[in-house]
Amino acid sequence: MYRKIIRRSLSNMRDSYLIYILACSFAIGVFGILISMGDNPSLRNALRLWDTFIYDITVTMSGLFAFCAFVYMIYVGGFFIKQQRNEFLTFEKLGMPRWILVAIGFFQTAIVQALAWLIGIGLTLIFQKFMGMMLFYLMGVRFNFAMHISLNDLWLLLEIFVFSTLVLSIINAIKTMRILQKKQRKVIIKTRWWLRIPAGAFGILLLFSAQICTFYLFKDMRMISYSSKPLIEIVYIMGADIFGTYLVYFGFLPTILNVMQKIHSVAYSGVNIFSFKYMKERLFQNISILWFVTELSALALALLTFCYFGYQAVHQNYNSAYPFELAANKDTVKVIREELQKNNAKIKGRYKTEVKINLVSYYSKSNESYVRQPMTFMSYSAYKSLPKRMRKGNSKINSHQFLKIDYNSSLMYNNPTSEHNIEVKNAPMIQDAKMGYSFPYGSSMHFGPMMIVPNKYYQKMPAEVKDTFYGWDFKKGDRLSHDQLERLGGYRDAYYMKVDFKSSLEKSNIEVMKKEPNKYEAATYTQAGFLRQGNLKKRFNQGGGFYLFIVALFSVALLVALGSVLTLRVLLRDDYQSRQLRTLQKIGVEESEIKGIVRRENTLTFLIPIIFALIQSYTSIAMFDFGHHMSKNIILIYGGYVVLYSLFGVISYQVSWRGVKQKFNL
Amino acid sequence: MQIAVKNISKDFGKKKTAVHAIKDISLEVEQGEFLGIMGPSGAGKTTLLNMISTNARPDHGQIIIDGLDLTQFHDRDQAKYRRNKMGFIYQSFELLDSLNVKENVILPLALNRSNKKLIEERFTYMMNLLNIEELSGRAIDELSLGQRQIVAAARALINNPEILFADEPTGSLDSKSATILLNYMQMINQKERTTILMATHDAFTASYCSRVIFVKDGVVFSEIVNPGQRDKFFEQIINMQRTIGGGDYFNVSQNY
Ligand SMILES: Nc1ncnc2c1ncn2[C@@H]1O[C@H](COP(=O)(O)OP(=O)(O)OP(=O)(O)O)[C@@H](O)[C@H]1O
Ligand SMILES: [Mg+2]
Repeated sequence: MYRKIIRRSLSNMRDSYLIYILACSFAIGVFGILISMGDNPSLRNALRLWDTFIYDITVTMSGLFAFCAFVYMIYVGGFFIKQQRNEFLTFEKLGMPRWILVAIGFFQTAIVQALAWLIGIGLTLIFQKFMGMMLFYLMGVRFNFAMHISLNDLWLLLEIFVFSTLVLSIINAIKTMRILQKKQRKVIIKTRWWLRIPAGAFGILLLFSAQICTFYLFKDMRMISYSSKPLIEIVYIMGADIFGTYLVYFGFLPTILNVMQKIHSVAYSGVNIFSFKYMKERLFQNISILWFVTELSALALALLTFCYFGYQAVHQNYNSAYPFELAANKDTVKVIREELQKNNAKIKGRYKTEVKINLVSYYSKSNESYVRQPMTFMSYSAYKSLPKRMRKGNSKINSHQFLKIDYNSSLMYNNPTSEHNIEVKNAPMIQDAKMGYSFPYGSSMHFGPMMIVPNKYYQKMPAEVKDTFYGWDFKKGDRLSHDQLERLGGYRDAYYMKVDFKSSLEKSNIEVMKKEPNKYEAATYTQAGFLRQGNLKKRFNQGGGFYLFIVALFSVALLVALGSVLTLRVLLRDDYQSRQLRTLQKIGVEESEIKGIVRRENTLTFLIPIIFALIQSYTSIAMFDFGHHMSKNIILIYGGYVVLYSLFGVISYQVSWRGVKQKFNL
Repeated sequence: MQIAVKNISKDFGKKKTAVHAIKDISLEVEQGEFLGIMGPSGAGKTTLLNMISTNARPDHGQIIIDGLDLTQFHDRDQAKYRRNKMGFIYQSFELLDSLNVKENVILPLALNRSNKKLIEERFTYMMNLLNIEELSGRAIDELSLGQRQIVAAARALINNPEILFADEPTGSLDSKSATILLNYMQMINQKERTTILMATHDAFTASYCSRVIFVKDGVVFSEIVNPGQRDKFFEQIINMQRTIGGGDYFNVSQNY
């Protein structure tokens, strides 16, 4: 008998349970994979470089993940008990003892959880290898990922299963108990228009002001290092967005529906007479969930934006520090060539550029002071003959213009201003120079800023020091062995320049020293002898891949959670709500029109959160990508998110229509 | 002849536990007829009405209305036909909980996108006629069962359907409301030549019909035509019910 009740209620809400179980088992599968990856031996062997870092991260991440998944399960698992309220109340009226109903609530949850875990562990076993291979692929590691789950992990999973299932079942049993104690059927939703209308208006106002503020943030963001204005703006925008959205959901949207419903010429035509009221009812029921999903989506998009720009910044920094796999100057080139010959490195490209070092003085805007320093000069044509990637962060110039390349003070923000009136020793003053921060041959090859000058200017200008830079690109790395590197160690510093500043530039001069001066003086500069990406490149690629892996995993998981919550909210209509659709069909409303109502309901449920989330996450772009263009990749990331999200909308529409239609043919 | 039902049958459920709700029923109804369908509970009255009104498809047989074989229609066309020509009073009322009384009643007109003036006119007329003006702003779940039934009747009648299907229209009404409703049904039947098919348990209600058929175990058992006098017809119906029941368990509930 009781088994029958459980079985019936499971089959009644088949579709909803299926979605819930799939979402849960996805979470469990990902959790299992994260846990078991941490101590996978092939991962350890392949990623020696990282020591316990990967392990630590996966453990922390899986913990965080488990926590979120658990909250999700508590929250969503409760939907099902709520759905059975009427059934339970009837059973009790018929004289079934209360404890049995509570037990039914308990075992139902336990069965569903057990199923989810079974599938989830299955997913772990099946997809562990796949995910591992994907991780290796992303990290650019050529290594076979062997499947492995240690007994320890299995035991841990089992413990978590028992514990979480117990807790969830108890929670649902308590929920059943509360339903039985609080008999009253449904809470009548108070319309309270006197509150909703002003609240909605205020919400719209807040959202508007947040948008305007975002517009200013685009401009003000570059002051972040010295002004608190942008920070205040960000805090304001966040507050206004979060509260404004809630108020709009609470007040504005219902009011709109209400007004439409009051206009009889619209409302009394076709199914509108029903659908407006129906939508309003559904909206009232789902306000907090919609809001919650909106904010989480906005958060997810903001995090993705943050991750993207963070990665970009690090990538850029890395690229401008090491544009060549190996770089050398005239003093070291011979030794390095010899070493490369010894180990048969496959050279893909080699570059060579002459430079002149001279003294300059100018007023620096960013430091707000006069600067006197040596500067490396390169001719325009030499600059142009280098690979494109060397020019990535620099303003574009033509053959008559000057370009000053300097260190970028901040990781994220570039200040694309220009520099004026730079005096050069024994050469014409440079009136106007564009700015950039990508150093050809890498920033570490230079002791100070660099200047790209027109060819004529370069040929005519004198040089305090002349040098030549060399750069190599390889197929499969430079293959320098540990011993070779040790030998090269002595060539890291090529020479030292001691600058003797006098009253004028003409009188000042540079003294080149081969030996490191004993006492470091303020005006001593070091020219690097060679520069090698080596391990760093590997580390960077692997770290980037790992980062990508984790970010992707988490975003997909979040998306699955949000999408399934919405889908379940759509599917789990109250009994009387789904009966109404059947009634409509009985009085001769065409199926396509009822389908239209279901579609509108789904569209409303899915479209509202994503639109508001997109509006809000726009702010996060303002924070990182201010000033110029919207980056293509960011649009791509957002687009991907929206597409995956709408996939859920479509699935939810299909499933919910199927459920409604099933009832039609009874 | 407006409605011709030819050898329809309908089963419910899977093989082992199948219920033969309708076994083999043929039936003809003239335009402007007021046909009563009687029979014990579970006889298949509702199922028969549902099939004639295209709410359910028969497993076998044809249903021809105005020369059109409705069983060949696509679902969509059936719905359109249903909406334009038919009115329904369901046994379970089928009112929409989200809407208030007024909206429920005007629903058929609204669905046909009638103009607002006509809607208001017809609405006031129906509410006056059935004596339920004071209900117009109420929510459905605040109504008594009988009130719901009369609201459902108002909805069925508001757009002057050509064919009215009434499944136990007086089941939950007091005798005064029942008489008002039945009189109105008789009036539209006579004046506007609305064809009415009504299922009922109640001999008094059935006595308003021009013809009554008796269904039992999924077949038509017999039929009586109204001789013109209601009292006599009433007697005949009572007698027939006795015969059908034959001291059967169901008989008890059907007798006065
Ligand atoms: N959707 C259904 N699924 C399964 N069996 C059904 C279904 N609808 C009706 N039946 C069965 O078909 C038979 C006829 O039912 P129907 O509702 O037509 O009876 P009825 O004559 O209208 O009874 P009542 O006087 O109680 O309204 C019954 O045995 C019933 O159990
Ligand atoms: Mg019936």
